[in-house]
Amino acid sequence: MRMKIAVVIPGYNEEKYLDLVLKGAKKYTSLSVYVDDGSFDRSAEIARKYTSHVLVHESNLGKGAGMRTGCTYAFETLKVDAVVFMDADNQHDPAELPHFFKALEKGADVVFGVRSFTGNMPLFRFLGNKFASVMLNVLFSAYIPDIPSGYKAISKHAYEKLELQSSGYEIEAEIASKVAKHRLPYVIIPIQAIYHDKEKGMNVLDALGIAKKMIEWRLFS
Amino acid sequence: MITLQVISVVFGLFMLYWIRVHFRRKHFSIYEYSGWMTIWLLFVYLAIFPQTVQGIIETMHISRVFDLLVIIALMIIVFLSMQNRIAIRRLEKKIEVLVRDRAIQHTKKEHEK
Repeated sequence: MRMKIAVVIPGYNEEKYLDLVLKGAKKYTSLSVYVDDGSFDRSAEIARKYTSHVLVHESNLGKGAGMRTGCTYAFETLKVDAVVFMDADNQHDPAELPHFFKALEKGADVVFGVRSFTGNMPLFRFLGNKFASVMLNVLFSAYIPDIPSGYKAISKHAYEKLELQSSGYEIEAEIASKVAKHRLPYVIIPIQAIYHDKEKGMNVLDALGIAKKMIEWRLFS
Repeated sequence: MITLQVISVVFGLFMLYWIRVHFRRKHFSIYEYSGWMTIWLLFVYLAIFPQTVQGIIETMHISRVFDLLVIIALMIIVFLSMQNRIAIRRLEKKIEVLVRDRAIQHTKKEHEK
């Protein structure tokens, strides 16, 4: 089945790599949605060179809010059947987009892009990453590796079912937790791990906050 | 005791003045203004005449009037903190909805042109 799929890229002050990301994505899709989350650099201006679907948050709300804005726009305005999320900091290789499209077209509701845990993943990120997967396994009896990975895809049906609420980084864990809770069919595909900025990503406090949220989703969502 | 009473009265009078200033700037409704005025007038009165509530503190097995005031103050602070937390959450949610909606509507309008 041929599906209409958009690539949603949320970003905050990503002028350094956005050019590369959008140029790369354009080779594989004509539908890119860039959500600028209150950046004070030239991100939105750069994005407009590659796509007409640039949404600008007037203030910084967080990655989750950016992803949700992109989804609302893609599903309701562009009438797409599914979206693929990519990070704007060039951590993800656009050449892997066809793998996500293929998995969605084969009927997967959610597709998780999973990085291989090789030596180039910073230690704290590796530990936080493993911690999230173990927590998910304990609370929801499902093992999804690399929960913080932002390279993932979701169908319209799954998006409506998950009723995502998070505004920050915890949205990645919310997606994994709710997919596990609602027993939605998902596919895991290996992706390349590219790290430009070792300071970015989850820290220990973020991991603890996510653990608290996971318990909340397990008990009350 | 006198020192503590003087500090309490000065603080109470400052709070009364502060409430009056904000009421004149229309930051409080008449209802809130009356409530806060009553609380701080009562506070000043009890700081000057603590023996008024002697009967109450004996019934509640509290040793000093000051302790009773601290207990009441803590209860008010906890209530206000919870109220603030709820108000901030609601405000955050409203801002988020507004910012997200404006972003979508703006791009939609650009496409309609």
